Amino acid sequence: MSDPLDGDVRFENEGTLEPLPVVRERTVVMRAVGLTKIYAAVASRGGSASKGSTNQGSARPALELFRGLDLKVHAGEMIAIVGESGAGKSSLLHLLAALDTPTAGEVWCGEARLSLFTPKQAAEFRNRDVGYVWQFHYLLPEFSALENAAMPLLARGMRRAEALEKAQFWLTEVGLGDRAEHRSGELSGGEQQRVSLARALVTEPRLLLADEPTGDLDGKTAEAVFSLIQRLHEAHGLTSVLVTHNLEFAERCDRVLKLREGRLVDGRAGDGRV
Amino acid sequence: MRFEFFIAARYLRAKRRQAVVGVITGISVIGVAAGVASLIIALAITNGMRRDLQERLVGSTSHVDLMRVAGDGIRDWRPLLARLRGVPHVVAAAPGLYGQVLISKGARSGGGLVKGVIPADEKTVGDLLQSVVQGSAAALEPVAVAAAPCGSGTSARNDCGGGVSREIPPIVIGQDMAESLGAKVGDGVLVTSPQGELTPLGLVPKYERFQVAGIFKSGFYQYDSSYAFLRLADAQRLFSEPDLISVISFKVDDLYHADRVGRAIEDAAGKGFQTTNWMEQNRELFRALKLEQVVTFIVLALIVCVAALNILIALTMMVMEKTRDIAVLMSFGVSGTQVRRIFLMQGLLISVIGTVLGLILGYGLSWLGGHYRFIRLDAAVYSIDYLPFAPRVWDAVIVAAVSLGVSLIATIYPSGSAAKVLPAEALRYE
Repeated sequence: MSDPLDGDVRFENEGTLEPLPVVRERTVVMRAVGLTKIYAAVASRGGSASKGSTNQGSARPALELFRGLDLKVHAGEMIAIVGESGAGKSSLLHLLAALDTPTAGEVWCGEARLSLFTPKQAAEFRNRDVGYVWQFHYLLPEFSALENAAMPLLARGMRRAEALEKAQFWLTEVGLGDRAEHRSGELSGGEQQRVSLARALVTEPRLLLADEPTGDLDGKTAEAVFSLIQRLHEAHGLTSVLVTHNLEFAERCDRVLKLREGRLVDGRAGDGRV
Repeated sequence: MRFEFFIAARYLRAKRRQAVVGVITGISVIGVAAGVASLIIALAITNGMRRDLQERLVGSTSHVDLMRVAGDGIRDWRPLLARLRGVPHVVAAAPGLYGQVLISKGARSGGGLVKGVIPADEKTVGDLLQSVVQGSAAALEPVAVAAAPCGSGTSARNDCGGGVSREIPPIVIGQDMAESLGAKVGDGVLVTSPQGELTPLGLVPKYERFQVAGIFKSGFYQYDSSYAFLRLADAQRLFSEPDLISVISFKVDDLYHADRVGRAIEDAAGKGFQTTNWMEQNRELFRALKLEQVVTFIVLALIVCVAALNILIALTMMVMEKTRDIAVLMSFGVSGTQVRRIFLMQGLLISVIGTVLGLILGYGLSWLGGHYRFIRLDAAVYSIDYLPFAPRVWDAVIVAAVSLGVSLIATIYPSGSAAKVLPAEALRYE
């Protein structure tokens, strides 16, 4: 039996004469413990937002996205995080990718505690351990698809020829081996997102984080991209956390977690549907 | 660094989303090039003028002068002269007797400095006697004695300065002095020495009549308006100082080591002697030239500063335009330091391109100016009929360093602000 929030898979050795069950747990790739994220109030000129005055102009009140959120991500699983817009799904991914820091709580990646990272270590972590796919492709328009895909490797100082060779492999994996020299403006939306996926995977990261990777695509293209992610996940034994609004895609993941009122809850109903 | 250069170079080449950024970048490159070229040309001109002035000045006068500390003149100077000619790096030496006089012709008169010389020797240490434009300096040669260096050690020839003509002795004066006196070659002038003779009537100034044998023009007002040459023996007679000289002038093999050779000459001459060299004698002039050069450099460096301001604006706008890309770069592990370097390199690339273009332009124009002398000057005013250009490699190094340094300072703010981009914040509202 497995706990949908914990995700630990237990196999009991039934059918043997052994009196005690043998429990095997999958490796935890990432763990978030007691995560809290509160965006501080932003005061307008000459006033304090916390006073709750209606004359705050551009003031932004304090915003609590989640409080005491826990999460375990196991090696090889594909997790879908769903929730309403503004629930904090993207912010959660930012915290997992060390792109942002939590107000409280900790994120662990293996034995590394992200809050202890220096800016340089955080950059190295993003470069080596995390592949990030955004809702929009965010390819750099001045560079070819191949250069875009190779960018994380070039950034870490890998030889250009080697980096381009690896990037070419991943472009082929996402079905764009013959579009390597095309710039992002010469690619369709789906192709751009596939290059973005190749860029995220070129470093062979421990964790793929995708923030609504199909959110900016039409239905057919979205299906193609999601299927691609699924295929690569299985073929390369990836560990993936996807934020999505598409419940159909979410259902196809190993686990579905819903971000509700600042916490993650099991996103599947009793019949297994999301 | 390769990665940062790769990104910076591509950003610089790429078409801009905002055309104005590209325009400002282009203006920055042109601005740096214009500033650097202006600096190179201006420095080449000031160097050329300085070099020309120095060559003529140093050519006109001796490099080192030896005199008595007490100012009492050098007696028994022939063996000393012979000995000092043997000092290492001394090329030539000549005796001379200086004296302040009043030179008059009719109602006109003016103060002057006469130098009693032996022309054959004097010509080896200074060019003034070779700059005679009217008449000739040949009349200064001692009568009935072949022109040969004095004090060469042969006592048989120790008649230097002796055996002069009993007719009106010759004098060679500067052109400006000749004009102020209204004197021409062949005219007689009266030279009055303040070192007078004691007579029953008291101290009477000593005066003697000379005939203008030649008029020289060095191009230096100081010399042309107050210098005059006499035969050494005539000067000694005028100043009532028989067989005494006041100075031994030297030419050395390396004029920039005149001070060092001067000290060696002092040591060789013994106690009671001191030397001055051309650098000390013209210190104020060269200091003024140096100051002019520094001021020119500072004024023109302002052009580079304005260009650097353009770099600052271009980079700031580029950082604003690229905020999203910076955030994306950071999301896959590009560090803040790397982002800073990208924009720093971009600023430096603009500066390097502008500096190289400026150096090529500046040196090209300076070479053309020096080679074809296409800028003509009024020789009567500037004593040279073309604008001299003398570009120096060292100037290029300094100008390039200043240009790159100022540009580097201009990149600090935009590259710093690029490094501070928070990826989550920058992409949250995209």
